[in-house]
Amino acid sequence: MGKEKAYKRILFLFLPLILILLFLIFPFYWTFVTSIKPETELYGKSVTYWPRDVTFQAYRSLFIDYNFIKPMKNSFIVAMSTTALTLFVATLAAYAFSRYRFRGRRAFMILFLTNNMFPTVLLLIPLYAIMRRLGILYTPLALILSYTTFTIPFSVWLLNGYLSDMPMSLEEAAMVDGANRAQAFIRIILPVLVPCLVATGVYIFMTSWNEYTFAVMFTNERSRTIPVSLKNLIGQLGVQWDLLTAGGIITIIPVCVMFFFAQRRLVEGLTAGAVKG
Amino acid sequence: MKKTAIFFLTAIFLVFSAIGCKKKDEESSTINETGNPISITHWYWADNSEYSAKMQEIVNDFNEENQQNIKVTAEEYPWDGGGYSETLFTAAMGGGGPDTAAWKLTSTPLFIANNLLAVLDGYIDNWQDKDDIESSLYDVMREASGTDSIYVMPWNTQVLYVYYRPSMFKEANVAVPETYEQFLEACRKLTRDTDNNGTTDVYGFGMRGAKGGQEPWGSFIWARGGDFSDFTTPQAVSGMQDFINLYKNKYVPPTAPTDGFNEIIANFKSGRTAMTIHHIGSSSGMVETFGDDVDAFPFPAGVKQWTSMGDTENVMFEACDNKDAAFEWLAYLATGKGQEKWCITTGNVPVSKRVQAMPEFQENKFMKVSIQGAPHAGIFPILDTTTEWINTIWPNTVAAALAGQKTAAQAMQDLQNGLYED
Repeated sequence: MGKEKAYKRILFLFLPLILILLFLIFPFYWTFVTSIKPETELYGKSVTYWPRDVTFQAYRSLFIDYNFIKPMKNSFIVAMSTTALTLFVATLAAYAFSRYRFRGRRAFMILFLTNNMFPTVLLLIPLYAIMRRLGILYTPLALILSYTTFTIPFSVWLLNGYLSDMPMSLEEAAMVDGANRAQAFIRIILPVLVPCLVATGVYIFMTSWNEYTFAVMFTNERSRTIPVSLKNLIGQLGVQWDLLTAGGIITIIPVCVMFFFAQRRLVEGLTAGAVKG
Repeated sequence: MKKTAIFFLTAIFLVFSAIGCKKKDEESSTINETGNPISITHWYWADNSEYSAKMQEIVNDFNEENQQNIKVTAEEYPWDGGGYSETLFTAAMGGGGPDTAAWKLTSTPLFIANNLLAVLDGYIDNWQDKDDIESSLYDVMREASGTDSIYVMPWNTQVLYVYYRPSMFKEANVAVPETYEQFLEACRKLTRDTDNNGTTDVYGFGMRGAKGGQEPWGSFIWARGGDFSDFTTPQAVSGMQDFINLYKNKYVPPTAPTDGFNEIIANFKSGRTAMTIHHIGSSSGMVETFGDDVDAFPFPAGVKQWTSMGDTENVMFEACDNKDAAFEWLAYLATGKGQEKWCITTGNVPVSKRVQAMPEFQENKFMKVSIQGAPHAGIFPILDTTTEWINTIWPNTVAAALAGQKTAAQAMQDLQNGLYED
């Protein structure tokens, strides 16, 4: 009986899980393997699932000849600044929307949502002209501001959902103990909100880390970000597969590291037991 | 608490303003300081990092050599499957495009309709190197604009021809085709099951059924006596039928309807196909992979002979403040050392007759085939519908025809309607 149960578990749980895992991991594995293959093998007649001669030439070329450090630095500046700015604005806005009842509240919330309904290409020319007039075109600031145009509305909705679920009694308890509204927000709500901020922050970071349409318009050689630099490797007449895949691998490392830390924060479940009977 | 919040908000505002203002000062300094070098911004795309480095080298040479104190800054933009032209259009419409840019003829009508390009007739008429470029090329530039004026400066061309593997021809006992019928026969003979396991492992021809495939396809239409003014003639339909038959008879890989540039080149490089059609731009990669075991011949003549001329030009924007300086730069690329260096590195066919006569070009077998094919090279009609026709209508219609959902005649009627609709 026990054996039969174990077989069933393997057949219906572990086997499908392994298949799904393989399906998810294989593209990353293939990208990595391509990045360490010599060119003769890359275009060879037979497909090799592990290179016969491992070479890290693509990584060397990427950093030495292609100067990939520069777009990485630019992407970090843009993604981190966008995340910080969006979280700051969105947290305050979401708090106001969830805790105060004021005229036009619903209209504002819907207005925020409609912003995300516009296709990004529609905003491209107006935003380009605005950035040019402001004199910030081809600087990281142009990208940071344009990214916040669509990360803030979404983040406000996301955080508003979290905050609305949070009991008012948390702040009321703090205010009974003598804290004012701001102190209650900073000392009580913010610590409880950390997992939600991490989740929202990860979304914002990844959106701005991978974005291409605005990045190609609002940057130049000095301020290029990773997606544009990688796209430069796909020419009209050829693709530099080795450099492209090496770049792809390097690009996902920071995101993976961030997820590793974010995941820890996300599972902490700070809200559990916050309100005592 | 209010004070802290205000302090934070003010601090953030100041930091961002400082970043913005700093960059603004840096940018405006090159434009505002009169008496300093005349700045020209040039946009281009490059197919690999070697081409990028070469363009920067050409720019440095020009900046050092020119007597007018012109300083060109070349900015690389991704080709992005043709999205380059859209990026350029958005920037130009937003008022911040470059002074000059690398170009594709197909974009010309859109930019002219929006008054974004500068007319070059006056500059070309007074240019001492005017006759170094074939007059027929100027005609192509005029034709592309749909006006009597030239908006586009020739730079280099790519003439499509057939790449083949001499070793495979030898194994299959096939001679280099000299007629269209021989070419079709070669496609059949070269399709082989080399290891006798019951499945085909070498296909005669690497067909391009995805976007961009209309260029090699055009040669089939003309070979049967058709042309692009009317796709519904019996001759044009017959060319289409040949194209369908290659797929139906399995002389091309089964993935042909979705194969684009990368796939046909990868198939050829991996030995899956014995012939494929592309231009000299991919020759260095071919030689790197095969050494001497790759050669080329012009697409053979049938009733008529036609091959597609790929093009790369340069344009000057109407918003450019220093048009004389910009033309100096465009001229350097068209007939000066910029032409020599770029064409030697990329292997593209030069437009300058002086450069064409250089030993580097005369001794290159792929260049020779390109030059042989040049008299028959042409472009597709550039109409308002062309982009949509190339990007969507042609691939979808041909995919349906290859899948047997449309006859050759029905497909050609659809292509006719798509390109010449009112």
